[in-house]
Amino acid sequence: MPRPTTSVEPVRKSVTVPAAPRRAFELFTAHMHEWWPLATHSVGLEDAVSLTFGAGTGAEIIETGADGTTCRWGTVTDWEPPHHVAFTWHPGTPEAEATRVDVTFTPDGPGRTVVQLVHSGWERRPDGLSARDGYDSGWDPVVNSFATAALDGPRHPPAATQGA
Amino acid sequence: MTDALVRGSLRFVETYEAVLDALGDRTRRLIIDRLRAGPSSVGDLAAALPVSRPAVSQHLTVLRRSGLVRYDELGTRNVYRLDPAGLTELRAWLDTFWETALDRYADRVRQDSSPGTET
Repeated sequence: MPRPTTSVEPVRKSVTVPAAPRRAFELFTAHMHEWWPLATHSVGLEDAVSLTFGAGTGAEIIETGADGTTCRWGTVTDWEPPHHVAFTWHPGTPEAEATRVDVTFTPDGPGRTVVQLVHSGWERRPDGLSARDGYDSGWDPVVNSFATAALDGPRHPPAATQGA
Repeated sequence: MTDALVRGSLRFVETYEAVLDALGDRTRRLIIDRLRAGPSSVGDLAAALPVSRPAVSQHLTVLRRSGLVRYDELGTRNVYRLDPAGLTELRAWLDTFWETALDRYADRVRQDSSPGTET
């Protein structure tokens, strides 16, 4: 059976940068405002003036607009410098619909780090629990199943949707 | 929520909002669950779900606009089935989105990578 050409498996991106993990981590997080393409990758677009990435679990990623309005993009769920940071991701959408971004920093020889980004969680929680309640209890597999089923054709009857 | 959410009008928000919105409703997830088992008519879906037929139609419209379902006309019935198109678009956009962001990040790292840079 041909595999689906589409899926909602996590988006995975990787880039190797000329810096040790600690610096790579620092630039990714605390210095995000220095490199994030805010004019095109923000809720306020050209009106967006700043971006802050807080340090530590529970810290927030906040976009601020020219008029002072703020928009929370996500909340840090895992803070393990210099190896790993993870945060919820819901810019412009309700927090209950947050997806998840994981970034890992792996040494690749002296002064080099492989930065891997995984954006997952499209299936989302079925119950609307807020991100603050924790994402470690698993994700509703509706969408993953959906993408597979769409191309694989009929399969076993679906499990009842949680919370139904 | 702030005005920023309303002002945001480009694809950053729009693209995946359509899919997420579509899936953000429990009834729509139930419809998708039913369609995972195979194509179904509006009437059959309504019979299987605790919502009225007009409500099912409205939900199907949302799902169709987001690209998650499509339908075929069979006689007088519209038979709905899952369509991965909505997810294809979402994924393609996200690929580009993160590539752009990580390129900028790598450029920033290169800017301060010189001998003696702190580690």
